[in-house]
Order: sequence, then structure tokens, then C-alpha cells
Amino acid sequence: MAMDPLAAIKVTFFQECEEQLSELESGLLAMEAGDTDSEIVNAVFRAVHSIKGGAGAFSLENLVRFSHVFETALDLIRGGDIPADQDTLKLLLRSADVLADHVRAARDGGSVDEGRSHAMAEELEALAAGNGPAVAVDEDTGEGFADFEFKPVLIQLDDVVAELPVLPTVDETQKVKTFNIRFYPQVGLYQKANESGLLLRELARLGDMTATLDPSGLPLFDLLNPEDAYIGWTIVLRSETADEAAVREVFEWVEGDCFLEVAEEAESTGLASDVSPEDASDDSSDAALHASGSTSDDFDVLALIRQAQGAEQAMAEPAPVKPAVATATPKVDAVATAAAPKVDAGKSREAALDAKAQASARDASPQTIRVDLERVDRLIDLVGELVINQAMLAQRVGEAGLQRASSVAVGLDDLEQLTREIQDSVMAIRAQPVKSVFQRMPRLVREIAMMTGKEVRLLMEGEGTEVDKTVIERLSDPLTHMIRNAIDHGLETPADRIAAGKAPEGVVKLAALHRSGRIVIEITDDGRGINRPKVRQIAIDKGLVAPDANLTDDEIDNLIFMPGFSTATSVSDISGRGVGMDVVRRSIASLGGRITISSRPGQGSTFTLSLPLTLAVLDGMVVTVAGQTLVAPLTAIIESLQPKVGEVRSLGPNAQVIAIRDTHVPLIDIGRTLGYRLTSPPPTEGVALLVEGEGGARAALMVDAIQGQRQVVIKSLEANYRPVPGIAAATILGDGRVALILDVDAVMVPRPHDFPVLSDGPDDLANSILPLAQAG
Amino acid sequence: MTKTILTVDDSRTMRDMLHLALTEAGFRVVQAVDGMDGLEALDAAQADVIITDINMPRLDGFGFIEGVRKNDKHRGTPILVLTTESDSTKKQRARDAGATGWIVKPFNPEKLIDAIRRVAA
Repeated sequence: MAMDPLAAIKVTFFQECEEQLSELESGLLAMEAGDTDSEIVNAVFRAVHSIKGGAGAFSLENLVRFSHVFETALDLIRGGDIPADQDTLKLLLRSADVLADHVRAARDGGSVDEGRSHAMAEELEALAAGNGPAVAVDEDTGEGFADFEFKPVLIQLDDVVAELPVLPTVDETQKVKTFNIRFYPQVGLYQKANESGLLLRELARLGDMTATLDPSGLPLFDLLNPEDAYIGWTIVLRSETADEAAVREVFEWVEGDCFLEVAEEAESTGLASDVSPEDASDDSSDAALHASGSTSDDFDVLALIRQAQGAEQAMAEPAPVKPAVATATPKVDAVATAAAPKVDAGKSREAALDAKAQASARDASPQTIRVDLERVDRLIDLVGELVINQAMLAQRVGEAGLQRASSVAVGLDDLEQLTREIQDSVMAIRAQPVKSVFQRMPRLVREIAMMTGKEVRLLMEGEGTEVDKTVIERLSDPLTHMIRNAIDHGLETPADRIAAGKAPEGVVKLAALHRSGRIVIEITDDGRGINRPKVRQIAIDKGLVAPDANLTDDEIDNLIFMPGFSTATSVSDISGRGVGMDVVRRSIASLGGRITISSRPGQGSTFTLSLPLTLAVLDGMVVTVAGQTLVAPLTAIIESLQPKVGEVRSLGPNAQVIAIRDTHVPLIDIGRTLGYRLTSPPPTEGVALLVEGEGGARAALMVDAIQGQRQVVIKSLEANYRPVPGIAAATILGDGRVALILDVDAVMVPRPHDFPVLSDGPDDLANSILPLAQAG
Repeated sequence: MTKTILTVDDSRTMRDMLHLALTEAGFRVVQAVDGMDGLEALDAAQADVIITDINMPRLDGFGFIEGVRKNDKHRGTPILVLTTESDSTKKQRARDAGATGWIVKPFNPEKLIDAIRRVAA
């Protein structure tokens, strides 16, 4: 707001550039996929064109230069001079990447890879030069941004008066040139809203001018068409400074819409030196020409201007064409008026903008405002408090024994409804389309394809799917890695693909969708699929599984997520950077998400990510353990069951397993693990939550009772207290009590030293969090 | 007497720049985002001068100018073409459509104002 307006526009420009770049890329990709709609080609051209236009305005010369070369090539494609074949489109896509680099360099003050940019520009130039007509590179690029196509001349009536008497006093033989000009406007000149009077005024700026009106072309009054052009002028201009080009420049905009003759009077002969009869086909001007000189009266410039102004005023009311002539006073002025048919004069329109006009100052893109993220997060926090408060109130009302139908209870229901809606709406503020991550992928795919020598087509779906901003930000690395893997490990080389009876070009598909309150992202490739015998062997070699382990296909596929697993025989440039799928899995898990894989040998693999839409709320199972209330994330829970006698077996003093269908999973007493109690009650008296943790390992978590499922607002322990092993976060329940949210993965692999015994239970913890949480 | 300028450009950057330059010079500015929008804004805007881009989605500058010239109420409104294009065929097309004059981007605000005064005197 206090920002310098130009700086603010520059910010807008770079935002717009990002939009244009994404438009450019998606357009080129559509073209690559065979879409030949001319509107796409136009949009692609416009994107680069707009970037160039704005860059010019801010004198971003490198950006202008590159976008100009790019634009020239695109213009030829648009015009059909260059076929948009696959090779060309690949070149254009790479050029789009370089253009993006230029934009970012201009924005962030960095630099681009000059060699790459230069090479790309040369390729584009070669494309333009080789296939299209020779393209004269506009002079408005590079340093010499062309300015105006004319020398604008501003002249006020007063100026004219002041300047008119200034007669050349210098020796005439020295410099003063005399031009004889014949100027006969044609009807087109007026149709384009040009004005003879204004042109003459400008001409008068160049020197001492005498204009003679030639009304001889005027027809009889009855035949006069007020929209036609009948009169012309013969002008003598004496100027010290102007040359013929300067004189012609005055008429540049009306070139082709008038008969114009500019002749510099030769000192000796006084003959016309140049005649440029533009298209003098217009009947009326022909007539005017033929008759010129015979009946002309001398007018001085002032009179001309008055005449022009009179014309304008007289025409302020748009006159119906023929009848108006019949009622007009047959005076010369009126005739002149008729000859300058400015249908609609500006004078009557100084009225203020009305609301309607302002409404038309709209923007095609959705209206947005930029808000400091802190404010949004504060709002989210407050709404979280509101939800908690509302829940507490509801509980109190319930405890007070009010009837469901009582007005208080009904009002409370409404409040709950409203609170939920507010919460959803506030969460939506932080939601953004995954497009911002997805749109980085095409470039990545191109680069990896180039490095690996594979042919890849990337398909994207559901870019508009929205998810929390933080999730989006933290999605970028795992997605990048998975796309790399899909191309590097998943897809075969073109030769291998052909041998396998597939198209040489592999397809990687990236899709996002909402499913039951979560966002699901699928990365699918049509490559060779997971090589299970190899994966199994590697896992055995690395001691990740027992050599005699009986593994299902699914279990083998999931081995790639195990820490330390890497199928790459060599650490390739692309996928292998010491980062394996275990890291991907962990970063997804840290977002409360899961990753699964399904693979069919020879047909490809699909990685499916399932993530919460927001990190601020969590669907949880509220449970009781040793008198404490805890929340287990619903996403981790597969099922809950009541252990029966005979299903539980002891493997030692402190280890038990439970038989669930035909497998045994470790039985973990949460109460003991977290230090709430030293001895566990018999499992048959509690409830087991079958959970799946990182790496697909399963465990049964023993709790005393299940209270129910609930959406809870997450309160960070790190921010409000300190990290606690085994606990992911905290929340505040409807009764106002703090409940800890279980870190399922951590409690599944209990290492004794990780869990200090909380001798007094977590109440000290609760006391620390509660005041903070209530204070907001 | 405040004059009103209708600016037609699909680039937000360009619209903002024009708005800044023109309002500083004392003009009223009405904005439209493409040719179609420009034609719709025409009556409400009551512009004294129209400044339009050429390359725009939906309806380009040529179509827009033709549309203005077909409208009896705005036939006489001067139209300046503001474009990065400087090749003569485009200029001729703009002229054929009925453009009053043209200015090549990037524009110098003072010169732009002079150009407006040149047609809107």
C-alpha cells in the first residue's frame, strides 16, 4: 500500500509472468499431445508476447531479448510458416524452461545459464530463419527500445497564437526550407477519428504555415453527404528545422486515408520534388483535387482551428445523416462542419464515471488479496479454540440435563453447525491447488528424459485439487523423487519398450483427487514394474528379511520402502542421491500421509499417496489408557478388536503377540510403553487397535477402552511444551482436558531409553499446555 | 474537464502501468481485459479515447476496433493501438480496422499522454 506504485506493478508483472509461463507450458504440452486448436497456439504466443511486453516496460533487457527470439519463432508457427512437429515442440518446451529461468533471474536478481540461453536462442533463430520467411528482427529489441512511431506534438491554441508570428529571420538561403503540401483527407481519415484540424495544428508547430482551404470539391448542398470528405488544403510551410520526413510524420497516422503531397521547394525551380499519391481512388477527393486552386480562399491557421472547433461543437449532437443537412444553415461553416463528420464529440462526455463504468473495470482472473500467512494461521488457531469452546459448552449443556429439544440445545446445534462451517472455510484459506507443485514436474520430466535417453510423456490430472499450503510445500520433494524413480527405474529405454511390444514413449501419469476427506495423489508409470525376485534378493542380501521368509507380492513391493534399500546397481545421476523410498515414505508419514504401491510386472507401477487435507485437524480415535485420554490417528488404525483368550501368546516376560487371522503381530500396551503403569492388565480386558506403521509393519496397541471417533484440533507439543517421545502432538477435548495424540510409529518400536517413566502421568504436561492453549 | 480513457489489455501489468500513467496525468481510466470485455465496457465507460492492445484472448484488438467502429455511438472515438508489434502489415490491419494511431510498447508515459492529447484535443 505504501509501496512505490511502480514496484507494486513489477510484483504484479512477475506474478503474471508465472501465470504466463504456466500457460505457455500447458499450451505447448497440449500441442505436443496433438491439439491443433488455433486458440492454443495463440495463447502460447500471447504468453511470450505478454512477458516481452512487460519486460520491455521494466527494461529487463535479457528477458526482452530472449522472449523476442522466442516470440518470433512462435509467430511463425502461429502463421503456419513453421510446422509444429514434435522436434519443434521439444525445442519450444526447452525454450520455455530457459524463458522461465530468465524470468526468475530478472525477478530475483540472479543470472541464467548464459551458454544454455544463448544456444537456445540460436536454435530458435535457426528455426525461424530456416523454415519461415526471412524475419526482420524488430529494432525495438535489445537496447534500442523503439519508442513512438511518431514525434508527438502537443499544441494548444495559445501556443499557436504565440508561435505564429515567429517568422524566420535568418538568411533564407541558409536553412529555411519551404514545403508545398497538398492535403486532401478522405472519408477513412474521419472514420478513424482523426481530425484534419488537429493535424494542421501539428504541422503548424514545424514552422510558419499558411493553409489554404480548397472547398471546390463540395457538391451541391442537396447532394452533400455529411459523412463524406470533400475539402482539402494547400499548405505552404516554411521551416528551419523540419525535413520532409518530419512533415510526413505528422501525417503518418492518416497515411492511406488522404491524398498527401509533400514537395520541398527547390531553390532554383520551385517544382514539386516528390509526389506520393496514396490511393487516391476516393471519388470525392478526386473531385477535390481536380478543382483545387480555382476557388480557394486564404485561411490562416487560427481560422482553421476555429473552424475545426466549430465543427466539433456543431457535431456534438450526433446528427442523423441526410435530414440534418436539409435543416442545417447553409453557411460555409456548416459546410465545413459537414465535411468533418466527427459523429461523436468528446465534449459532452466529461461526465463522471458512474458505478457501471467502474464495474467494468473488472479483471478476468479471480479477484485475490494477499494476506500475511501469520494472520491466517492466527485465525485458524482462533477457530480451533472456538471449536474446542463450542465442544466444551455442548458438554456442559449435556451435563446440565437439558432436553435435546430445548431451545438452548437446539441453539447449540446451530452453533456447532456454524462452527464447523467456519472451520472449513478458514481451512480453505490455506488450501491451494496442487497445481503449484504439479507444474514443476513437466520440466523435471523433460530433463530426466534427456539425461536417461528415455522418451516420456507426462500426463497430469486434477491439478485444481486443493490441499493445505504446508502439505503442498512439503509434497514437492517426495513427488520429485517419485517422478525421478518412475522414469529412471520404472520406464524402460525406447529399445526395450519396442522389444516388449510397447510404444517407445513411456507414459508417467500424475493425478490428484479428493477421496473421503483426504487428498490422494497417484504416480503411475507404464514401465516394467517392480522386479520382485530382484527386490527380494536385495532385501535378503541386506539382511532386511530372512532368507526363508514367505512374502506376498505386496510385501515384496513394500520392501523398497525399507531404510537402506536401493535397487539401483549404480548410484545414478538421477534417482540415487542417497535418498531412497524410505525417505519418501517418512516425509509422507510426517504429513500424516501413507504411501502404497501396486505393481504389475511388465505393465508398470502405481504409487498412491494419501494425505490429510490439512495439518491443523486430525481424525482421531479417542481412547482411555490407565485413566488417561489419548487420541490415536485414525489413518494408522486398520481395525480394532477385543483379544480373546488363546489369541495372546507370551514370548518372554515383556513380549506378547496376538494372533490376528493367520499372522501374529506384537502386542504393545500403550499404558506401559508411555509409563502410565508398570504392569499391564490382561489383554482380554482391553481393546486392541491394529495399526500399521512406517514400512508396513503392524502392531496391536492395547488400550483400556474406546471413547469414540472425533476430529481434533492439533496443538503442537514442540511449540507449546517440548517434544515428547511417543507423542506426536496434543489436543484439547470437549471437556477442556488435554489429550495427547499418539505417535504410532514411535510406540511401535519402543526403545526403553526413549520413554522416560511419567510417574505422575501426563498431568504436568497437561498443565503446561492448557493455559497456553486457552490463551490462544 | 477530466477525460476518460478506456484501456483494453489482457496483461495486468500493462493495465496497471497504463492506469498509473494516465491517472497521474489527470485522466479517468476504465479498464477492460480483452476485446470482448472492451466492447461490453464501451457504453458505460463513455471514453474520450480508447487505448487497446492487439494480442488478446477472446477478441483481439483488430476485432475490438472493428466492433467500436460499428457502434454508432463510438464511431468517432479515437482509438490508439498500444502494442509491441511494429511490423507494417499489423499496423495496416489495425488501420484498416479503424485505428486512429498506434504506439509501440514499451511506452514512455509523457509521450503516451501527448499522443492522447493529440487525438483528444
